[in-house]
Amino acid sequence: MSEYAIEAAGLRRTYRSRTGWLRPQRREVEAVRGVDLTVGNGELFGLLGPNGAGKTTTIKLLNTLLIPTAGTARICGFDVVRQTREVRRRIGYVFGGDRGLYDRLSARDNLRYFAELYGVPGREQKRRIAELLELVRLAGRENERVEGYSRGMRQRLHIARGLLHRPRVLFLDEPSIGVDPVAARELRQTVADLAATGTTVLLTTHYMAEADELCGRIAVIAGGRIQALGTPAELRHHADGRRVLEVEAYGVTDERLAAIHALPRVREASLEVIGAAQVLAVQSDAGVDVQADVLRELDGVRLGRVTARQPTLEDAYVAIVNRVDERRSPEAVPA
Amino acid sequence: MTDLFRLVGTGGVIAYRALFNWTTPAMFVGTLLVGPLFQLLFFAYLGRQLGVADDRFYIVGNAVLAATLACVFGGTMAVSNERRFGTLGHVLLSPRSRTAVFLGRVLPYAGNGLLIAVTTLTAASFLLGLRVPVSALPALLLTLAVAALSCGFFGLALGAVGLRFRDVWLVSNVSVALLLLLTGVNVPAAELPAGMRVAGQLLPITHGAEAARRLVAGEGFGSATGPLAAEVAVGLAYAVLAAALLKIFEAESRRRASLDTL
Repeated sequence: MSEYAIEAAGLRRTYRSRTGWLRPQRREVEAVRGVDLTVGNGELFGLLGPNGAGKTTTIKLLNTLLIPTAGTARICGFDVVRQTREVRRRIGYVFGGDRGLYDRLSARDNLRYFAELYGVPGREQKRRIAELLELVRLAGRENERVEGYSRGMRQRLHIARGLLHRPRVLFLDEPSIGVDPVAARELRQTVADLAATGTTVLLTTHYMAEADELCGRIAVIAGGRIQALGTPAELRHHADGRRVLEVEAYGVTDERLAAIHALPRVREASLEVIGAAQVLAVQSDAGVDVQADVLRELDGVRLGRVTARQPTLEDAYVAIVNRVDERRSPEAVPA
Repeated sequence: MTDLFRLVGTGGVIAYRALFNWTTPAMFVGTLLVGPLFQLLFFAYLGRQLGVADDRFYIVGNAVLAATLACVFGGTMAVSNERRFGTLGHVLLSPRSRTAVFLGRVLPYAGNGLLIAVTTLTAASFLLGLRVPVSALPALLLTLAVAALSCGFFGLALGAVGLRFRDVWLVSNVSVALLLLLTGVNVPAAELPAGMRVAGQLLPITHGAEAARRLVAGEGFGSATGPLAAEVAVGLAYAVLAAALLKIFEAESRRRASLDTL
């Protein structure tokens, strides 16, 4: 048995596309630019990053759906390019969203079909499907067509499908996207239970709280590269020596956010929409108070609660990702 | 071996229910039974008017042709609807043999095709007064089954193109029109230009229709074995082509990310 469940070294992937017939335009996008990581057996590992950071491409390279442009990857010691069948026997893949299931079939028939595809022996199928329906709390609804399922139910069915053949490594690509808070909490519990049984889980997510709660180690990926890797506590150090001013507001425009970010002594500024309100998080050095300057920039905007707090994992994540954006932005400006 | 049969049999039937668009009774009867019957009547009356050939020519030819709708579009749906449901990636992650997975999907479509051909032939025989020798029925059933299977493999080869090109329906629509034109079911092959005649020989149902016509004419199974063997050969060729295309396009999707960038 290999020491690591997942190993990647110098993994790169470039997408090449061509558009137009008369004057074809070729485009190259380097989605993954040299990812190195190892995930131990039974580890619950998080891969965090903004949209377009390379998370899904990395997963598709590891689960054999894509071939790397350069570099190597192994799952349970098997090469993802040359030993695809061995790799596929050992992995499960779950992604978020509404698609990925046969809408016209019931949950049971979806699982029956994928049980055939993933090689679950016939005599085991019935028992395994019943077990999984119980695990993801779909027992009793298994004979209904999937087209009538809520997103949370679909998501749980995705997980059941991913576990049919008892994979040693499970890739969860943003499994809680668009799922309501109660369903998301149930989902997290299911993932935690899986890890407890020894399944290696690689989880990608946008939700810091989710990663913080579940993952033993987290890699932050941005611009196609791993920018930081460590335990949640270690990652929090990226925001050490800072304080965060949090302002609840209604109607902060991108221009105002940019103006706040450009204020002297402001290190980071990010905006999150929560219900009808926006929450503006402004990071500065610990000994510096930027509240007056920020509120001046927000003149005319309806404001709610204003608080100062210690940095969280999310603040550390914003700091890491923004650092990458700042390094890359000069390249984007034409000379 | 049992697992392989389960994948082909049970898997094929579940995939048919999941992916075939015309499974509801109204869609099935309207699209696959009533539509082809009216098409048959149209060509039979047109043939009477023009005096090109007798009713038997059109009834048998169009009954065999009726199977193509389910088989060609079924094969296309077997792949392109995977894209629609977002399940293609999960199917491609299966460690099982692609050939078994996809060839298993052909069987329900071929069964469909056979049912449609038999129904169309029976209904048209009653409506237009065609008498089929009872002794020819077993061989006729075999011929229709071979033609439907051959057409199913043809449909799967077209469906495999869907792994590479998103607009595969275009290919299916054109193919159905070509089957109507080139297979000699409505225009006698002898009347076609040489190039079209040769192209027709390479398509499914051309030889099946010829064999069926000989059987209905009471010429006996011996006279139908030649075209029937040719139909088997054409069907096998499309089965091999479909398996090769699925393998090639899957490999290309991993290399060129064609499933992502399309």
